[in-house]
Amino acid sequence: KTETGDEEEKYKDLKGNKKKKSEDLKKELDLVSVAKLLFHLGLSSSRAAEILARDGPNSLTPPKATPEIVKFLKQMVGGFSILLWIGAVFSWISFGIQFAQGAESPFDNLYLGVVLALVVILTGIFAYYQEAKSTNIMASFSKMIPQQALVIRDAEKKELPAEQLVVGDIVEIKGGDRIPADIRLISAQGCKVDNSSLTGESEPQSRSCDFTHENPLETKNIAFYSTTCVEGTATGIVINTGDRTVIGRIASLASGVGNEKTPIAIEIEHFVYLVAGVAISIGVLFFIISVSMRYKILDSIIFLIGIIVANVPEGLLATVTVSLSLTAKRMAKKNCLVKNLEAVETLGSTSIICSDKTGTLTQNRMTVAHLWFDNQIYSADTSEDQTTQPFDQSSPSWTALSKIVTLCNRAEFRPGQENLPIMKRVVVGDASETALLKFAEVILGDVMSIRAQNKKVAEIPFNSTNKFQLSIHETDDPNDKRFLLVMKGAPERILERCSTIMINGKEEPLDSEKAEAFQTAYMELGGMGERVLGFCHLYLPENEFPDTYPFDTDSMNFPTSNLCFVGLLSMIDPPRSTVPDAVSKCRSAGIKVIMVTGDHPITAKAIAKSVGIISATSETVEDIAKRLNIPVEQVNRREATAAVVNGMELKDMSLQQLDDILCNHSEIVFARTSPQQKLIIVEGCQRQGAVVAVTGDGVNDSPALKKADIGIAMGIAGSDAAKNAADMVLLDDNFASIVTGVEEGRLIFDNLKKTIAYTLTKNIAELCPFLIYIIASIPMPIGTITILFIDLGTDIIPSVALAYEKAESDIMNRRPRNKKKDRLVNEQLAVYSYLQIGIIQSVGAFVTYFTVYAEQGFLPSTLLGVRVDWENNAINDFEDSYGQEWTKYQRMYLQWTGYTAFFVSITIQQVADLIIRKTRRNSIFQQGLFRNKVIWVGIFSQIGIALILSYVLMAYWFVAVPFAILIWVYDEVRKLFIRRYPGKLQERNFLISRPNDSRRTATPDANPCSLLFFYRHSSLALSQTIQSWSDKHICPVSEGSLIHGCHWLEEKPKKPGGNK
Amino acid sequence: MARGKAKDGDGNWKKFIWNSEKKELLGRTGGSWFKILLFYVIFYGCLAGIFIGTIQVMLLTVSEFEPKYQDRVAPPGLTQVPQVQKTEISFTASDSKSYEPYVKNLEKFLKDYSADQQTENIVFQDCGEMPTDYKDRGPYSDAQGQKKVCKFKREWLENCSGIQDPTFGYKDGKPCILVKLNRIIGFKPKAPVNDSLPAEVMAKYSPYLIPVHCAAKREEDADKIGTVEYYGMGGYSGFALQYYPYYGKLLQPRYLQPLVAVQFTNLTYDVEVRVECRAYGQNIQYSDKDRFQGRFDIKFDIRSS
Repeated sequence: KTETGDEEEKYKDLKGNKKKKSEDLKKELDLVSVAKLLFHLGLSSSRAAEILARDGPNSLTPPKATPEIVKFLKQMVGGFSILLWIGAVFSWISFGIQFAQGAESPFDNLYLGVVLALVVILTGIFAYYQEAKSTNIMASFSKMIPQQALVIRDAEKKELPAEQLVVGDIVEIKGGDRIPADIRLISAQGCKVDNSSLTGESEPQSRSCDFTHENPLETKNIAFYSTTCVEGTATGIVINTGDRTVIGRIASLASGVGNEKTPIAIEIEHFVYLVAGVAISIGVLFFIISVSMRYKILDSIIFLIGIIVANVPEGLLATVTVSLSLTAKRMAKKNCLVKNLEAVETLGSTSIICSDKTGTLTQNRMTVAHLWFDNQIYSADTSEDQTTQPFDQSSPSWTALSKIVTLCNRAEFRPGQENLPIMKRVVVGDASETALLKFAEVILGDVMSIRAQNKKVAEIPFNSTNKFQLSIHETDDPNDKRFLLVMKGAPERILERCSTIMINGKEEPLDSEKAEAFQTAYMELGGMGERVLGFCHLYLPENEFPDTYPFDTDSMNFPTSNLCFVGLLSMIDPPRSTVPDAVSKCRSAGIKVIMVTGDHPITAKAIAKSVGIISATSETVEDIAKRLNIPVEQVNRREATAAVVNGMELKDMSLQQLDDILCNHSEIVFARTSPQQKLIIVEGCQRQGAVVAVTGDGVNDSPALKKADIGIAMGIAGSDAAKNAADMVLLDDNFASIVTGVEEGRLIFDNLKKTIAYTLTKNIAELCPFLIYIIASIPMPIGTITILFIDLGTDIIPSVALAYEKAESDIMNRRPRNKKKDRLVNEQLAVYSYLQIGIIQSVGAFVTYFTVYAEQGFLPSTLLGVRVDWENNAINDFEDSYGQEWTKYQRMYLQWTGYTAFFVSITIQQVADLIIRKTRRNSIFQQGLFRNKVIWVGIFSQIGIALILSYVLMAYWFVAVPFAILIWVYDEVRKLFIRRYPGKLQERNFLISRPNDSRRTATPDANPCSLLFFYRHSSLALSQTIQSWSDKHICPVSEGSLIHGCHWLEEKPKKPGGNK
Repeated sequence: MARGKAKDGDGNWKKFIWNSEKKELLGRTGGSWFKILLFYVIFYGCLAGIFIGTIQVMLLTVSEFEPKYQDRVAPPGLTQVPQVQKTEISFTASDSKSYEPYVKNLEKFLKDYSADQQTENIVFQDCGEMPTDYKDRGPYSDAQGQKKVCKFKREWLENCSGIQDPTFGYKDGKPCILVKLNRIIGFKPKAPVNDSLPAEVMAKYSPYLIPVHCAAKREEDADKIGTVEYYGMGGYSGFALQYYPYYGKLLQPRYLQPLVAVQFTNLTYDVEVRVECRAYGQNIQYSDKDRFQGRFDIKFDIRSS
């Protein structure tokens, strides 16, 4: 809670700064009056240099970068490296002691130490390289062309890099420029700025020299750094540079929001602790055992090293990095650029997505959605790549309407785009006019030539007092000498000016009944959150308005009332066509999608409904109140699954109330929210224990992006600050890409689990030899270096290959993993790998070991207890089971053969291990052996590397094969049990992954109630059937809570052993 | 992420170890623990069965009488008796305690070579007094029962036999060592080709002999070694071929490998002297890695007082 307190303080601080700033501003005003005098002179170069030296360059301080060497050293000591360093140091110590004692072969330990150190350094370098590579991607991303600014210095206009601007400089800006610093305008001509990078509001705002507001953020005479000038020109004086600009302060606020550890980082840390714990405790245990068995301390230390090396999966962290970066690459192909490798997985564990509306869920362009003429509402196609419009175009009313739409429009296509699809062409004009132009172009074809045929003779552009736009045209019918007056505007204003209405091409008087119909249509379209425009026309009588009539737009010497109303058109920024599907995928994947927008609640709700964020069946409290005709207060809030929360309401809410809303409603829309509120919402979600993904594009979003578990910035619309703060960049700004990202994230988690299970298994087969060597005093079955061959040689490629494993069918039908319970490495996985498959592997490897020794003359019974004599350098006539005598070197040679055979048999059994790890519950025959080709690359590389590294008789390769088959058969049987008796004891005993997995799948036989959950949200048509069906099958309350949210988010610490 | 973590930290530990409400020890009830244990008992029981089974099957494929492969054990090593801790003989002639371990070691080794141990004629065969050719005794199986073994008379070792001098010359500062070629089943050492041998070896040449010769390891020690006496079968310093091939522990449980005794009668005292002994034969090789293959070196350090 203190954390949020801190945050609040920060906001207060920011607000405080603003106050301070307005004081500053007053001081600056004096400066401005002086500057006006010096308007043409500007600063002198020397003075500018002085100020530059005082204030520093006009650029945002980049977030503090960790020095490269620190990063590198971090890789060297992170994870298992410490354990390996300990191993290396012990090796050197024992080398030192042995060397001092003058033992015969002390150098073995020296080499071992060097190899261990090398392993650490190499994996460290590798990890460092990977990290550097991923940071480089971002570095290239954030690198911008150095901005230039037009400055007056020494009474001359100069192009200077924006970095060199100082307070007091006079700069000139024109349409299209990025504002180079915070500027107080001293002159402006039709200047409009787009403050969206600062406020998120994309509507251009006009700027003038007038001081209109105390708050610098509101006043019209200040233009802010990093915003863009849309049109017009202006001259201004720089009042703040660099980090002292408003944007600089927000950026520093964002950097103040601490970086939280990603879920996968936590998982890996947990895994490292677990393995290190096992390694150290077994190591120490056997150190004590060997000391008490009267081994020399030095020998015991060497055993300790062996145990550590055997326990630590040296190659695993590198494998994880490679797997993550492979996924990152794959995601980049699907338009998700991942900045932070670990964020790949975070997306997969996401349980709440707070999405922006504009651009992410919608296409970010106005499009005609509905038409109303002839007393009827028609729907238009709003998809991204429309080429025709399907509605009925035969009515003469439509012909009239289309003419108005075409003619009463100032928007034009930029020339030279004839080959582009209409929807992609760039238009000069505002959003609604653009929408109308494109709409007309799609239906009628060449709008520009139609306009040319209907020459415009007069025009009154839209303004906020008239609320209409009017133009007068000649007709394209050469026999018709009349002028056509066309008008569009706010529907109620247009209707006021009309006396007739066109029905089926005929003008009919506008009676109250028809006006009523108009009202209903207007309300309906407006209720859909659409922007509605009314259209009317009038053919001017030829006798009153001959060819030569001088139309004067100022005196309005033509009729503007008693017109003929033709129809309504409504526009909306339509949802992207892929979004509804993506939202429903999110739902079935158990991810809550919350819309957070600055838009009007009605529009927000309409879009939310059309994309499925608010599903067709669910109602808000207001809806229920309306339906039951009771006051809002009397509605049982629990009944409403959806909620539309206004930013104003949010402001007055306590954290408790916000939590209540987040918890009790599964479908939430926040409208009219400010950036700070976005942050509050994110924090609220995190309080529920959710992993929160946040999308955003403006600078204002960057604190929320940073605060989120995974911040997703928009690649096209996004500002640099947002991209900087985010963990991921959506290159196509498309919400659907997030869903593919989620899928990839879940897949990588599943696959990492498989990789780890695969890697951990052989650790036991590497560890057992040491333990048995110590206890039974047999010749050493496998050497430390040989273990490294497995860990860093044969096993690397196969474990990476598991990252290519295809998703199992239920991947998007289960709920996000609970970060508290669904660990990467859990009890089941460890127990199954260590105590079952690992032991089988050890048995197989020992059979090979005994075979090698028996075939060479040492039968198993001879081997027990021979260690001391076996390793004695002075005994060169060591007798075997047949009475033959062996020199020390011959024994060592045999021992190495044993190492190789042991190594080979672990490799062979790891092939089986690799194959069984492909699936969690499906049989290999269901999943298919050949779907993942990379696995085969892995298997062949494994065998190939083993062949290169070993030179053992081929016979020893086959000793372990029956055990490999045993592993595979055993695992198939286990999976069969899991499929046959889901959720039974057997499953909990053997299942590697979550014990409740089967309940999370949405396949009908798995659990009917989750299916219900799935359908309730996806299909209205089915709801009736489901209702009756669910009455028959009584669904437990806990399943019902699926629908109402939060239950699953609660951190109910289930007893640790409950999932046995 | 740190949120809430502190909450489930400490208190739950105790509960985890023993949950009195649910009667759970380490998160499991007694019944559950029993089932788990039962599972693992059965699981490991089966595995142990499989392990023993496969080992038995593997042993079936291995002959009792000769090993499947001998590529690691051949060519044979050459070793010496006495062997105490290191390959070093260090004593004071006047102090019987100082050489007692060596003497005991030699005595123990030579016990099997005593005449009274070689009386049973079913086991032992008189192979003559002079080196002769190999004695093949049929296939490596017990179809014909145990194989006979050539006698090796302890007396042949003369001064180093321990018969006259139970201290093997140690009390006079003239230590004896015994040299033997490591036993390898079926191995037939081939006598060396003439011209490759040192002159001393050539002096007493036999085509049925694997000669043994000891010399200073380092050039500069050559004068410190003094006279070296060799005792062996028929006075030859080498291993006679009729003792080969060896038929293994099962078929020749009382096999006596041929010995050569080497006595250093005039070693320089109070100096470390390194001596290298080699066996010579066409199929006896030396290796830099294995310093006991076909040769060995031994360090003498005889203190005068």
